[in-house]
Amino acid sequence: MGDSQYSFSLTTFSPSGKLVQIEHALTAVGSGQTSLGIKASNGVVIATEKKLPSILVDEASVQKIQILTPNIGVVYSGMGPDSRVLVRKSRKQAEQYHRLYKEPIPVTQLVRETAAVMQEFTQSGGVRPFGVSLLVAGYDDKGPQLYQVDPSGSYFSWKASAMGKNVSNAKTFLEKRYTDDMELDDAVHTAILTLKEGFEGQISGKNIEIGIISADKKFRVLTPSEIEDYLQEVE
Amino acid sequence: MSRGSGGGYDRHITIFSPEGRLYQVEYAFKAVKSSGITSIGVRGKDSVCVVTQKKVPDKLLDQTSVAHLFPITKFLGLLATGITADARTLVQQARNEAAEYRHKYGYEMPVDVLARWIADKSQVYTQHAYMRPLGVVAMILAIDEEKGPQLFKCDPAGHFFGHKATSAGVKEQEAINFLEKKMKNDPAFSYDETVQTAISALQSVLQEDFKANEIEVGIVSKENPVFRILTTEEIDEHLTAISERD
Repeated sequence: MGDSQYSFSLTTFSPSGKLVQIEHALTAVGSGQTSLGIKASNGVVIATEKKLPSILVDEASVQKIQILTPNIGVVYSGMGPDSRVLVRKSRKQAEQYHRLYKEPIPVTQLVRETAAVMQEFTQSGGVRPFGVSLLVAGYDDKGPQLYQVDPSGSYFSWKASAMGKNVSNAKTFLEKRYTDDMELDDAVHTAILTLKEGFEGQISGKNIEIGIISADKKFRVLTPSEIEDYLQEVE
Repeated sequence: MSRGSGGGYDRHITIFSPEGRLYQVEYAFKAVKSSGITSIGVRGKDSVCVVTQKKVPDKLLDQTSVAHLFPITKFLGLLATGITADARTLVQQARNEAAEYRHKYGYEMPVDVLARWIADKSQVYTQHAYMRPLGVVAMILAIDEEKGPQLFKCDPAGHFFGHKATSAGVKEQEAINFLEKKMKNDPAFSYDETVQTAISALQSVLQEDFKANEIEVGIVSKENPVFRILTTEEIDEHLTAISERD
């Protein structure tokens, strides 16, 4: 990977034993737009702010929540271009698994392979870590699952999590509101309320994105009008 | 701590700064402005128009060789703002990619696919130390078979968005403010209105009236989806229409 001139790692240990490039990558994530995910008893919801730099941008051309396989979706906080690379690699890995085993890839496997890619970029020569954290939402034989993957390549399974600008307020809010027997609809409402907490300006179907997966194992992104319906229910 | 900034290299190659920023990418944006020109793109109901300044710094220069508008395929146009040499590299690679796409898949490369390809390449330069980001902002325009007129902008950071109108270069922010006011109520501009909005936006933001040979104008329209650069006569017609209108 990279040119031979740069066959040394750019991410190296500091005297106190820290990998500072990874810490800086996490700072980059922390200044990205807020996104969150909630695992319900019968599905998973992920959501994010979609603040565009100008009203001149065609918001239909932008989709932050991406599908990795029919039953796994992902959202990011941090640097958009970096997330595109990871989405592309993950999709390919999922396809390769399917070709080999003739089975859809389990969520844990896909998360592990994506995390491995992110870890490679913290150790390989001539590259910097990814400036994104990912929230992977999926539903397979083990039920609904939500994973967060960080720039270091470490990942954990979460009941509910948030990333980006408003992370501490959002996590506090989620801790209060989360219940183990929550259903998907409640989870969507909670997700919207959490986003609303730190939202600057008027929240609408056009400046947030929500993706859900339920027991039908089909991940889909809600349309702006569906989001408006949920917003009205929340009012 | 003293080694916190990565040994000071965070300004030389694209590694993270302590604040989580990529200085090289930010400097690439500054390089785009260093070219000293401003470009504007406007998408109408069934046409797209891009305009840029044509500054010929030396009278001895051959005017026709000063170009920022490049056809990528018959139907796809690219307006490059920034470092000329980087622009030429990008255009060369884009032309190659679009031609291979047409050969491989049997149909013309759509705008958003090319925009994504350019943006993904730009992202690689922001992550791998061996190549610096290009100092170019690319605006791509075409009539998409399914979605109609499309205008995309790709920047050195690897972002790309579809736009109703946009700008790049020195007076980028002023132009965007101007265009936001004009496009606030989602007007559906006709072909003439699209071209004249683009040209008058440039004139207003730079506060000068242009002669036909001081700007380059490129268009695509539904009735003629071939990417075309307007001749000086056609530009003159539009300039006259604008001055009569005001």
